[in-house]
Amino acid sequence: MSAYAALSTAGYRAYARDKTTLFFTFAFPLLFLVVFGLIFSGKEVEQSGKPYINYIAPGVLSWGIANAAVFGVGFVLMQWRRDDILRLIRMTPVRLSSVLGSRYLLALAIGLVQAVLFVAVAVLPWFGLSLSGSWALALPVLALGITAFLAVGVIVGTYAKTAEAVAAVANCLMIPMAFLSGSFFPLDAMPGWTQSLAHALPLYYLNDGVSAALTGSGSGADIALACGVLAAVAVVVGAIALKTFRWSDKS
Amino acid sequence: MRPTAPAAQEGAAIVLDSVHKRYGSTQAVDGISLTVPRGEFFGLLGPNGAGKTTLVEIMEGQRRADSGTVSVLGQSPWPRNVKLLPRIGLQTQASAFFVRLTAHEHLRTVAALYDADREAADRALASVGLTEQGGVRVEDLSGGQRQRLAIAAALVHDPELIFLDEPTAALDPQARRALWQVLRDLKGAGRTIVYTTHHLDEAEALCDRVAIVMNGRIRALDTPAKLVAGGSPTTQLLVPEGRLTLAAAQAIPGVLGATQEADTIVLDTLDSGPVLAAVDSITGLKGVRTRTASLEDVYLELTAATAQS
Repeated sequence: MSAYAALSTAGYRAYARDKTTLFFTFAFPLLFLVVFGLIFSGKEVEQSGKPYINYIAPGVLSWGIANAAVFGVGFVLMQWRRDDILRLIRMTPVRLSSVLGSRYLLALAIGLVQAVLFVAVAVLPWFGLSLSGSWALALPVLALGITAFLAVGVIVGTYAKTAEAVAAVANCLMIPMAFLSGSFFPLDAMPGWTQSLAHALPLYYLNDGVSAALTGSGSGADIALACGVLAAVAVVVGAIALKTFRWSDKS
Repeated sequence: MRPTAPAAQEGAAIVLDSVHKRYGSTQAVDGISLTVPRGEFFGLLGPNGAGKTTLVEIMEGQRRADSGTVSVLGQSPWPRNVKLLPRIGLQTQASAFFVRLTAHEHLRTVAALYDADREAADRALASVGLTEQGGVRVEDLSGGQRQRLAIAAALVHDPELIFLDEPTAALDPQARRALWQVLRDLKGAGRTIVYTTHHLDEAEALCDRVAIVMNGRIRALDTPAKLVAGGSPTTQLLVPEGRLTLAAAQAIPGVLGATQEADTIVLDTLDSGPVLAAVDSITGLKGVRTRTASLEDVYLELTAATAQS
């Protein structure tokens, strides 16, 4: 087994055996989807005339996936550094790319499972999401979104020294961003300045791209713009993450 | 390219030459030079904060020396040397396990990081007597079992040079003796072992040579027997209580002093033969024991002397 495969397997096992993380990755966002979906079932957003579920499903999906990417790698890196696992890994001939690559593979797989699960629930008759023919275009948007938010998580995991710190920093980033990007509440129903502010947030583009692909709310150009912005965020944040990465808290 | 080591040192596992390392105002390593030949069992002793850990981390390639040269298996360990790493094994902290894996899964993962196979993990687990616990989650292992798993992780890829950091600290006496056998077998297989410990009896029993490190310098470096021989020349005779009064003991020619320790009268002497004969004539030798200086006595003398100076 290669080092990359071994690290991926170890990561998968640690993940699948952790009920708390499984809950917050899959059940918790689903709860949002179900609650908002049932509250606004059959209702439309006044300003656009579209059903609420067309906003909530892509919104909760994007937030859930971005959140899992940030928290997942953030916790693991913090814990690996704290418990000296990174020191152990560093004393083997393994490259950093294998270490981070295994986390990337895991994040993509988790994101895919989340996406399938959330969409499958959203298309149930109680929620009434109807998929557009272009739904498959959501996949590249999601992959780029996971990449960008994984890079954010690497930075969080590099600087946070305790689990509490990871949770605090990640929540401070992700919860306001989710509201301001329209993940839980349609941006179309928000004041103009919120809509302008949203354009500065990567989660907005993830929302927008996923929404355009899944519900047909936007054109191919919207999806391309979302992909472009997320790729740029991934490159810039990823470069910072690699630059600031530390194997040990010791000097 | 670094200049090649002198021919005389070609067979050495580790060659340090006037290595210095400073943290802020603390001189952690203050000019240490030493050579560890291949196949040697080398002990590093010293009080906490003496610089042992820093020294070992420099040898392992985890830290860079401020000055001096470091050669490990003929190569420089710094910066991270991926050619050298597979030839070195180091015991990690007993907390450095991949979470929520079993002992066996953890070792298989470590083996894969070294590109070693699954059988290597089985062998390493067996060598530290953990085969039965292979299916237990690392979080559920006892302290001693975790310690042994950390040692197994150092052996899994069959390294030539092994660094162990207080490997028997959390072990009960049986597990400790079992590990001694593991370590002796490794030495028998030609491995070089560098290990730090606070168990002086263990160092005396296992090590070919020991270095006593104080304040970042080597205070003594020799075989345990030679260090002991060079230490206190006093021999103690231990006579069970009630067989000899303190006054009678002090009256024996050649006795430097007599004290009572628990249920024993202890006689200090430089020449035990005549004193033993005298004790024999007074009370007989049944139950009488002699005690010569151990490595621990020498260590305590050296560390006390350095602390005072």
